Amino acid sequence: MDGSRNHVIRTLETVKRWGRLNSPWALHFNTGSCNGCDIEILATLTPRYDVERFGIKLQGSPRHADVLLCTGPVTRQAHDRLLRIYAQMHEPKYVVAIGSCALSGGVFADCYNTLGGIDQVIPVDAYIPGCPPRPEAIIDGIVKLLSSLQPVELQMEKETV
Amino acid sequence: MEKTEHKKGFTIPIGPQHPALKEPGHFRITVDGEIVTDVDVRLGYAHRGIEKAAEARSWVQNLYLFERVCGICSHIHAMAYCLGVERLAGVEAPPRAQAIRVLVAELERIHSHLLWLGVAAHEAGFDTLFMYSWRDRETIMDVLERFSGNRVNYSANILGGVKYDLDDEFVQFMCEGLDYLETRSEYYLEVVTTDAMFLQRTQNIGVMTRSQAELLGTVGPTARASNVHRDIRYEAPYSAYKQFPISIVLDQRGDLEARFVVRIKELFESYRLIRRILEELPEGDLAARMPRKIAEGETVSRVEAPRGELFYFIKSNGSDTPERVRVRTPTICNMMSVVKLAIGHQLADVPMILAGIDPCFSCNDRMFRVHLDQSVYANVGPLKG
Amino acid sequence: MRTTEEILYIAEELAAGWAWDTSTTKPEPNRLDVFVKYLEDLVPIAVGLRVQGLGYLAAITGLDHGPEADILEALYHFCTGKVVVTLRVNLPRRSPVVPTMTNIIPGAEAFERELSEMFGVEIDGLEHPSHLYLPDDMPVDLYPLRKDVHVQDIVARLKV
Repeated sequence: MDGSRNHVIRTLETVKRWGRLNSPWALHFNTGSCNGCDIEILATLTPRYDVERFGIKLQGSPRHADVLLCTGPVTRQAHDRLLRIYAQMHEPKYVVAIGSCALSGGVFADCYNTLGGIDQVIPVDAYIPGCPPRPEAIIDGIVKLLSSLQPVELQMEKETV
Repeated sequence: MEKTEHKKGFTIPIGPQHPALKEPGHFRITVDGEIVTDVDVRLGYAHRGIEKAAEARSWVQNLYLFERVCGICSHIHAMAYCLGVERLAGVEAPPRAQAIRVLVAELERIHSHLLWLGVAAHEAGFDTLFMYSWRDRETIMDVLERFSGNRVNYSANILGGVKYDLDDEFVQFMCEGLDYLETRSEYYLEVVTTDAMFLQRTQNIGVMTRSQAELLGTVGPTARASNVHRDIRYEAPYSAYKQFPISIVLDQRGDLEARFVVRIKELFESYRLIRRILEELPEGDLAARMPRKIAEGETVSRVEAPRGELFYFIKSNGSDTPERVRVRTPTICNMMSVVKLAIGHQLADVPMILAGIDPCFSCNDRMFRVHLDQSVYANVGPLKG
Repeated sequence: MRTTEEILYIAEELAAGWAWDTSTTKPEPNRLDVFVKYLEDLVPIAVGLRVQGLGYLAAITGLDHGPEADILEALYHFCTGKVVVTLRVNLPRRSPVVPTMTNIIPGAEAFERELSEMFGVEIDGLEHPSHLYLPDDMPVDLYPLRKDVHVQDIVARLKV
């Protein structure tokens, strides 16, 4: 009895993970960036890069999003809003910091109104460097994040296939 | 339910994170039913303290800082800064460098206007045009990448000149790109002036008369769509615009359609100017030698960014860091018009009116709360000139 | 279109020829700096510029000459064609006040709010609901662009 129940749960978990990894919905939040990274994120949606072929969709609401794409050095005014958006996302949630500013504050590192990077405020799962990173780099970063979430046996399975 | 509540209207907060806005700005829109009665703007989500930081960095370091005031118009910010500092130092960039600066500025204008066309079409729910114009924008991004090695912050300017030269292979590549874009722009012009569904979202929406536009101090394509003769390239030619004059693009109507038409027509002007520069590109050095310390003085540097007039006030105290750099970006001038124009329109038109000025919050990051008093207009009357 | 010389002439006549106490210099061929001695004259001169069709206020710049000089300066840049006419007023560092221009130039509000926030210049006739540019938790007596305020001071006084 117990065994078959476990089996069902495991199967459901697998289906859930499969769904999550194959259609991550991303939320974009600009925490004081210069727009350079933002237009590159937007460019990933457009025909040449077309992230929707990976099932990635840019989403408007934090409550529907799996991945938070953050750009900018986190200004003090954006700090509370970033925390709130992070809190509104449901588990499991992943944060991707895009661009030099989001990594370390970049060129704005010693400005009085910046906090110097997304990871000063919320935990970050993937870092994509560049000023700004190319759309290919952004796609690569998100795909790498997703593939690192695959359970080990599945990753191996894929490799043998 | 109660009458008083109805009178006060309902306030809808939008932003800083919002699907319709790619940048952080916060709007509080008061509506009565569907009609907007009041708009408050709170910006400052992208305020980084650049003007203060500039006072602690050297003249050369600041170049890279000002380039990152805005990612979309990075070249023109650096160019305004360079022109100002060069004037203070009494150095003039060589003619070839000036021509290359203007050429890149026009490439940037093309990229910015195509980007805007897509975003504005997206706000209107016309996603096909968004995808089309962003696909074509990649052509210009390739050109810029081939030129400088980066797609967005090209860093072409240095104090005293430019870093990169043009070679024949690049010119060939660019001309092919421009030819393609020219045919596409003709198509866009046809779409925005003939598509019946789209015209319903743009015609007679957000109308700004010439006197209003002058009174509110609007700049750039927003002002030119209301027939205001305000284009720094034309009024006060700087750098190579003296040698390669530009003709001003105007429209009488002042509505959203006019803003689309003006920007697309400016694309043709940019294509023409780039070809003209390539024909008569001066030979010579790429950069003049600049002193490390800049002579004491103050100067004003005005250039035409894709969104309008960009104003730099630079003060030097004779040391290797500036005493003060004041940056006035075009969006702050135009933001006032959004607040004014949105009142009386339907809520659904607000994103379009906002997109119509091509706002750039990272440039602008400040806040104001405006309850425009009609008596101001009554007292002052239209501006002269 | 009027030429640069004509515009400069009109502006100079206006600044010098009337009842107000001003002195003018031309730091660059296309610029006219008008030093306005009395604050009350500022708005009337701006009205005069408007009447002459030179009333596009491009920006208001604040300058801090440092604690030793004990002077703040407000610069009102009016641009027409190539010409930049700048009205300059000196303000005491301790309690600087300037009159608002929003009654004649609605677009001035954004610039005045910035001046007030960054330099602590009070704008007479303009209400300040809250911070403009700076974060909500910025202390109200801290003016980032004053010379004696350092980035470290600001960071030390802020919460996060």
